[in-house]
Amino acid sequence: MTLIKNWTLNVLDAFHTFKDEKLTWKSNNQAREHQLKHAQVLAEKALEAELKKRAVQIEHEILLLKTQNDTDLAMFKTKCKQDIKDYKQYLNALDQLKKSIQTSYTHLPEAVAFTIHHHAKHLLNQMWEAKDFEQKMRHEMQLIQFMSTIHEEAHHYLADSGQSAKLPEKTLALIQKH
Amino acid sequence: MIIKLALLLVCTAFAVFLLVDFLLWLAIAALPNILTQVGIALFILAAVLLLSAGVFMILKLILTALSTYLSTQQRLHRRLLFSDAKQQQLKQLFYFRSVQLNYFNDLKRKNLLRANNKAHLKALSAAINKDLKQLKKELSTVHYQQLQQTHQQCLKQHDVNALLKLQSDIATLNLTDDV
Repeated sequence: MTLIKNWTLNVLDAFHTFKDEKLTWKSNNQAREHQLKHAQVLAEKALEAELKKRAVQIEHEILLLKTQNDTDLAMFKTKCKQDIKDYKQYLNALDQLKKSIQTSYTHLPEAVAFTIHHHAKHLLNQMWEAKDFEQKMRHEMQLIQFMSTIHEEAHHYLADSGQSAKLPEKTLALIQKH
Repeated sequence: MIIKLALLLVCTAFAVFLLVDFLLWLAIAALPNILTQVGIALFILAAVLLLSAGVFMILKLILTALSTYLSTQQRLHRRLLFSDAKQQQLKQLFYFRSVQLNYFNDLKRKNLLRANNKAHLKALSAAINKDLKQLKKELSTVHYQQLQQTHQQCLKQHDVNALLKLQSDIATLNLTDDV
């Protein structure tokens, strides 16, 4: 009976010692624990403030991006419209060119006028579809040269009152060259 | 604390069962029955306590997860992610809109070119028709019909080169006849 009593007392003693150690550790580290908790709260607050700041910044960036996109798209739309207008004008100018050749060279076969006009359109499309600026300029120069040659020849033909060659030879030579 | 209590109850129940065994060994008849009932009741109580502790812990975990999800930090983080996704979406939208504008612009230009090509092909076709009609008397019916058929076929296929070749052939025929 004494053995059981001793054993129970030992167990109780160990339990109390464990509790005492726990309490001592807690009282020793209370200040540090409090400090750590405080630091954690401060860090959380700082993170919150940073996140809030970043959110406001991104909202502002979105607003700027929206405005920029709208402006760019409106400009691009205007550019596209102008592009179509320019292309239409070019086509009309080429049609006029064909008419002027046919008026100057009265006996010029339709096939020749068609070939000249078709070639001019081909040069125009090459110029329009060129991705590189240098290439675009080169094709534009070719088109201008071609158109000016046609005008020159038609003008000479009219000035000579049809005495020179019956066909726009220089223009046809340019077509062969291209 | 609840788990500790449950474990204590289990231990007590085992102690009661041992006591029952001891009493049975001593051949005391009345107490073992009551003590067995007490032991079973203690076991059931321990099980109920453990179960409630489990439910309590699950509920606590759910509540913690919910409070973390609804916390200011997490809300701000989600808002940031949303804004970031919106920014990316705007950039993509701008790219696709410009591609769309480019596509429709190109389509408009090609339609203009097609209409122009059609008008000039019509003029060429009219010239070929006129030349053919002039040659009708000089050509055999079969040859004339063959040329007409080729003309119609080339026009249908919008074959510019073939039409130009046809006109050149007709012009050659015209010249031969003149000679």
